[in-house]
Parts: sequence; C-alpha cells; structure tokens
Amino acid sequence: MRVRGLRHRYQAPGGVLTVLDGIDLDVPAGGYLAVTGRSGAGKSTLLAIVGGLEKPQEGTVEVGDIDLTRANRNDLAHFRGSTVGFVFQHFGLLDQLTAAENVELAGSLAGLGGRRRRARARDLLGAVGLAHRADHRPTQLSGGERQRVAIARAMTNEPRLLLADEPTGNLDGESAAAVVALLEDVHRDRGCTLVVVTHDRTLAARAHRHLDLSPGRDPEPGSAPGAAPAPAPVPDHRYAPDRGRPA
Amino acid sequence: MTWLDTVALAARNVARRPGRALLTVISVALAAALFSAILTIADTARTRVLDQLAKGGPLAGIEVAAAEADPGQVDSDNAQPGAPRDLDDAALAAMAALPDVRSVVPIETARVLAIPPFPLVLADGRTVTLERDEGRGRRAPNATFETFVGTDLDRAVDLPITVLAGRLPAPGSQVEVAVTPTWLANFGLGRADADAVVGLELELGAPRAFGDRVRSRWTRATVVGVVAQQAAPGGLVGTREMVHPDRLWTAAGLPDERFSLGTTPYSGAFVVARELDAVGRVRNQITGIGYSTRAPENLIATVQRYLHVVEIVLTGIGVISLVIAGLGVTNTLLAAVRERRREIGVLKAIGARDVDVLRLLLLEAGVLGVLGGVLGSALGIGVAAVVAVVVNSYLESQSLTPVHPQLSLSIAVIGVLGSGVLSLVAGAIPALRAARLPAREAVDA
Repeated sequence: MRVRGLRHRYQAPGGVLTVLDGIDLDVPAGGYLAVTGRSGAGKSTLLAIVGGLEKPQEGTVEVGDIDLTRANRNDLAHFRGSTVGFVFQHFGLLDQLTAAENVELAGSLAGLGGRRRRARARDLLGAVGLAHRADHRPTQLSGGERQRVAIARAMTNEPRLLLADEPTGNLDGESAAAVVALLEDVHRDRGCTLVVVTHDRTLAARAHRHLDLSPGRDPEPGSAPGAAPAPAPVPDHRYAPDRGRPA
Repeated sequence: MTWLDTVALAARNVARRPGRALLTVISVALAAALFSAILTIADTARTRVLDQLAKGGPLAGIEVAAAEADPGQVDSDNAQPGAPRDLDDAALAAMAALPDVRSVVPIETARVLAIPPFPLVLADGRTVTLERDEGRGRRAPNATFETFVGTDLDRAVDLPITVLAGRLPAPGSQVEVAVTPTWLANFGLGRADADAVVGLELELGAPRAFGDRVRSRWTRATVVGVVAQQAAPGGLVGTREMVHPDRLWTAAGLPDERFSLGTTPYSGAFVVARELDAVGRVRNQITGIGYSTRAPENLIATVQRYLHVVEIVLTGIGVISLVIAGLGVTNTLLAAVRERRREIGVLKAIGARDVDVLRLLLLEAGVLGVLGGVLGSALGIGVAAVVAVVVNSYLESQSLTPVHPQLSLSIAVIGVLGSGVLSLVAGAIPALRAARLPAREAVDA
C-alpha cells in the first residue's frame, strides 16, 4: 500500500475541517499497521480511503497495482469485494441473516456459487471457532462472537488487505484479546496486509508499524516495518487454520 | 450477486419489519382490491350493458305499431304512426326473418273494464277512491276502462319492463295481472304506493257491443305486481293467453268506437336487434315492410355518454387509490433507507455495487407490491362477487337476468402485476437514493 500526499477535508459548520494533511505512507504486502489518534484525527477516513469506501480528494493511494485515485464507483466496488476485507467496531452484521448467511453474503456479492460459498462459510466459521453457532442470528451471539463472524466474513474472498476499524471498541477485555489474536493469526497465516485503527495503545504496540495521526505526532520510533509483535494472551477461541481452510 | 440471491435477501429484509411490511402490503392490497373490484364490476357491467345494447335486449329494441310507416321515422326516437295497418303473423315472420333481428315479441291489447273492490282498501290500511267522477254512483264505483297489454312474459327479458313492486304474472297465467302507474294514477297513487296494491283482486270485463247494449266477458285476476313498461301503452299487463280471449270477444261484437280494436291481430310488436348498430338498419327494413317504428337510439347514445363518464370517474378513483398506495410504498422504503444507511454502507464495503443495492431495494418494493397485489386481487374479486350478489337480488326482484361477475384471470394478473409495477415505480426514488449512498456510511454510522 502506497500513499502519497493524501489530503482530505470536510465541510463543517464552522468552516472547512482538514482531517488528513499530506499523509505519506508505505505498508509492504503482508505488513501490519496500527493507526491511532484522537477522535476526529482522520483514522477512519484514512481507513475508508485505503479501503476504497471513499475517494481521496488530493494525493494518490495505490493498493497493489490499483490506483484508487483513478477508480470509478464500480471499480471501487470490485476492489472492495475482491481485495479488501473489512472488520467494523459495530460488527456490521445483518440481523435478519444467520451467522453463516452473513459470511455467505460476501461470497454471494463476489459471484460465488451457492454450494461453494456455503462450504466456504462453513469452513471459515469453523476456523474462527463458531461452527456450532452457524445458524444463530447476530442477536443471539455475544459481542466477541459477532466480531469473529465479521472476521470470517471479511476473509470470505481471501482479501490481500484486511482493514479493522476499532475492532475491539465494543468488546470486553477477554473478547478483545481473542479478537486481536484472531486478526493476527489470520494476518500471519494468510499473509494479508493488516491495518487496524484503534485507540488501544497496547494493541497499537503489537503492530509492525504504528501511525499516530494526532496533530504534531510522527510515527512512533521503533515501530518499523517487520518489527515483531508483542506476545498476546491466548484466547479460548483461537484462529485454527488446521480446523478448516477456506476453499 | 444473482437475482435469486437478491430476491431471497429482499424477502428477508421485508420480513425483518413485519408490522411495517404488513401495513404497506395492506395499503397496496386495498388499492389493488379497489382497482380489481372496479375492473371486475366495470367489466361485468360493460358486458351486461353491451349485452343489452350491442347484442340485443330491451334497449336495442324497436317498438312496432300496427300502423303505416312514417317515412322520416328512422331519424326520430318518437315517430308518429301513420294510418292503421293490420299487423299479422306474416308481417311478424317477415320481421323475424330480417338478418339483424334477434327476436320479435308480439303484443296484443284488449280494452277491459277493471273493477277493484269497493271500498278499495290498500294493504297498508288506506282507503282510496277514484280521483275523477266518472263511474261514481254506478254499481261499480271504482271501475276504470283500461287497455290490457298481453305479451309473452316468458320473454320478459327482451321487453322494456321494470318491476316496481311484486313480480310479473307467471308465463301462461290466466289469473294474474300487473298494473302500471297509469292505473295507480286513477286513484291518486304513485310509484311509492306500489307495494300497497299488490294482492288486490280485480274483476275484468271485456266488452262486446250488441247495438245499444254491451255485454262483458268477466274474469277475475290477482294483482301480483306493479310494472313500468314501454311495450305498449296500457294500465294492465298480463299474458297473451289472458288477453287474447278478451280481444276475440270484443272483436266479435258490433263496431263501437268506445272499444274499437280494429282488425289487426296484433296491436304491436317488440323487435330486438342483434346489436345497437343494427337498430337503424332494422328500422329501415321494417319501414320497408310498411310499419311504424320507434326506438330510443338517441337516448341510448346519451346513456352511453353517461356510462363513459362513470367509467372515467371509476378509473379516476382507482388511480387515486393506486397513487396513495404508491406513496405508502415510497414512504416505507424511504424510512427503510434512512434506518439502514449503515447496513447499506456495509453491503457496499463487502463488495455490493450501486446496481446491487438498487436491485435489492427495488425487489423489496416488488415483494411488497406482489404480496399486496395477490391479496388485493383476491379481495377485489371477492368484493365484486358480493356486489354481484346484491345486484342480482335486485335484478331478480325485477324479473331480470342476473349478472355473472367476470372473474377473469386477466384481471387477477393485472392486479398482481400492476401492484408490482406500481411498487417498483414507487420504490424507484428510495432505491436510487440507497444506491447513491456513499460506502463510507459503513464506518460513519
């Protein structure tokens, strides 16, 4: 991921609000970046731009060989469906669908056939330790379980870029640790690039690189690409690729 | 995303808010029901009226008098008859043989003295007397001299007869008569009093002149109904079996201008054309045969214009109801889009294109519309059937052929498809709005 001179502004009641001002950023394939900063610093905006949810107003953003600056709405939709996996603080699950159907939905949008995507959803739910909850609706799951379903959905189309926006923001400590461990396992085992937006400095410290968007702050020293993550507590439900890999 | 997957997701989305979905379906169903009912009733009524107007029936009928033709009669609804001319079986056969004639109903008349009881006490307890002095002081102070119209009452559906109270005399009966408003007027009664005279006993005397003496052939009859009719002018209506002997009795006497019937075997006939457009042609042909005719062609044209206005009004009501239902669908979907901004954003975040979201919302509208259409069409046809029952009870009281609601599959299909299309149109704006929502909503909400 290569970002150059990224600027983004919003029209606010008091005038124009600049949230990203000349961001340059390189994240190698398979890298792990944590983005922190105060509320309103532009963390989610950065995530939305590199995830193709929003077009940059100024500067260039390239993910792999795709220049998001030049992509149209359909290109961006295809990019999001094939290259990016999103994990949201609010989980983003559809309450009217079961856990398995939520996971299948991403495959359905990518054009996967019914049998293939059902098998993949089953495998992914098994991999996140929720095979037994496949037929449960989101409202019947705990917060941690919902986030694991969301991670399974994000992995459906085998993305090269996994973006997590405050993935532990709505979780208790134990569930948060389990979710973080799961994201890191996915990142490590599948080799996808992981970008996590968080307020949690402990979580940020585990990333290979840390970008602090607070005004006047540069990326923290010692968080160079390739830095080893700090050890994490082992949760009850670890990502277990040997329990079933996506087809 | 395949169409099948989109339909399944749309159905799940609709089912997520069952109360709101139900209200929307009901609003669409009511509109579809009204529209289906209007279509069914209009179709039935049109068929009925066309049966009457275009395929023959009283309104496509032509009164033929036992008189010479007026050359200009075809242009007039109420042509004046010329000099008397015998109307016999040969003339009726000639008319029946005309290619555009569906039926010929012969009419015989006789002059009779009609004597109700004295004093005349009606069914509601009132006692009435003759309004004019004629006959008072005689042996039968309530007697009136009437024209007794006899026809084939088993073909009453072909005749311009409307039952105001009671019923028509049974076909072939020699003891039942119906009276007309003309007879009621003798006693100062109107149509509102029609029920009160049903059940009266009348003595009927057909006169025969013997020089300066008159002898009558007496029969008794029960008034079974009150009718308005244009078959021939007269105060009493009965069967030909009842009138014919009276006519023969009078005709066998010496000429007397008080009750002269002429020499014609039939006093008139009612000719029904096969279709409305043929009425003028048939009148021309009957004129060619040599008889005077009358037909309400101009009246029918006026009625048709009014029918067209009624159709426009009904269609307007249907369209208004559909627009209201459409606005209901729009409102429901706009509310859904407002509530689901984040969900739509998430769908886009996981790969949904604008067209996928557009299709999803349109299908949700379509699901609501089709459900409402199915429910509404069934309801509308049911309403039309109930209306038909009510109408039939009235028509049967008038001794008229009942209507059969046109429960056509096409109306049901139009109702369902129409509701679906209506909902798609109504859902277009919310669906477009949803499709244009920024994917950023996924992280903003």
